[in-house]
Amino acid sequence: MRHPAAPIALLLWLALLPARQQQHPYVYQGTIETTQPKAGSFALITGVGMALRLVSIQTTPATRVASGTTTLALKALKPGDVVRAECHSTPRGLIADRIQRIPLP
Amino acid sequence: MSAGRVVAGLLALIAATACEKPVRSGDPLRGLSREQLDRFQAGKAVFDSAFMPATGLGPLFNSTGCSECHEDPAAGGRGDEVEVHATALRAGGVCDPLVGEGGPVIQQQVTPALKAALGIDVEPFPKDASGRATRTTPVLFGRGLLDAVPDSLILSYADPDDRNHDGIRGRPNRSVDGRIGRFGRKAFVPTLDEFNAGAFVAEMGVTNPAQPTEETIGGQPIPAGVDPAPDPEINQQMLDRTNDFVRFLARPSVKLTREGREGRELFGRIGCATCHVPTLRTGASPVAAVDHKTFEAYTDLLLHDMGPDLADICLGLAGPSDFRTEPLIGLDSAKHFLHDGRADTPERAIELHGGEAVTARDRFLRLPAGERAALVAFLRSL
Repeated sequence: MRHPAAPIALLLWLALLPARQQQHPYVYQGTIETTQPKAGSFALITGVGMALRLVSIQTTPATRVASGTTTLALKALKPGDVVRAECHSTPRGLIADRIQRIPLP
Repeated sequence: MSAGRVVAGLLALIAATACEKPVRSGDPLRGLSREQLDRFQAGKAVFDSAFMPATGLGPLFNSTGCSECHEDPAAGGRGDEVEVHATALRAGGVCDPLVGEGGPVIQQQVTPALKAALGIDVEPFPKDASGRATRTTPVLFGRGLLDAVPDSLILSYADPDDRNHDGIRGRPNRSVDGRIGRFGRKAFVPTLDEFNAGAFVAEMGVTNPAQPTEETIGGQPIPAGVDPAPDPEINQQMLDRTNDFVRFLARPSVKLTREGREGRELFGRIGCATCHVPTLRTGASPVAAVDHKTFEAYTDLLLHDMGPDLADICLGLAGPSDFRTEPLIGLDSAKHFLHDGRADTPERAIELHGGEAVTARDRFLRLPAGERAALVAFLRSL
């Protein structure tokens, strides 16, 4: 006889799957090179040492942009700002879920 | 304790000190374990190896191996190669490292396959660059100690607003992700491991787990079939051993003559030591030979404005005229001085100091000839 808890566990696992994926987003911290607020995208400079690379990141209306506890519009981000972007991967590319501007002392 | 035992103890101490061999260029740190020495040697083998296209070289590169440049007077030393860097200073003082055009290092060699595909001999110079710089190969001795200096100590020397009114405005640079930088002539790179991993790619075109992608050719992807080795082209173990070799390279011993000791006193008296801080102390390290060690560094690892005559490129928060205080290590064998090797003697290098260093420079120039010679003798001993 099948264990009655098995389908419930499977449903629970499926229900939690998006949340589990959210716990392991693609995280990039770097300097903004360019922003295209109308297109909702920006390019981030990352890399090691002098071997730098560009990462293109899209935003959606659901993307949260903040500096500390203050919510920002994407257009508030400027080239030269250092940000941490938590993203997920889609066939369209990286989509940012959260962008946090990092203050430089 | 009897007087005899005290004398015997002192004699033993004197004998031990007298018998201690000086640390030479290329030697490992004193106090490494057998296992760490083995890693140092294994790393030296990677450092001394030459890459070929089939093993990861290129398609853009400056050298075929680490020790092709870092070779004089021993592996990890300086070289006579001069490389080219470029960036662009944008409106508002924002520095663009031109990553979209291939990045700030303009490689001076290409593999035969890339030459055949594109007909180029060097990486094209970025059309949007506003500055061009040349860079000599620095010595790597003592870099593991510099790596272990806590950020808090670096920041303790910072005085960007010149609150003490001495004319010196040291400030840290930041990496692309905002951490305090310390390596490279503009202090753009935060850690030694990142400096090494970046150098594998930027200098040799050898991708690795820390940077598994090749740079573009002036913003264009590498033509198909040009780069035969799969990425990453070296594995984590090779990268780790190379990091071990560089981290464990010792700072060579400083042996001062009487003239050198006089020069050291003058070095402090005329103000050189304000930026070229004589000693730094490492923080906690899992490597006993690096853990809480005081060493002769002669740097504050901060950026200083060196005046318009030396200005070349921006990088991170560093403006064109900002340079990190160069650690004065390995000057005993140096033939060229300053970041681009434009000075053939220490005296000429001092003469070329501008900006925040003008006061110290002018004091040096006003010294009697004998005292100038003593100061140079001191520098030559470092």
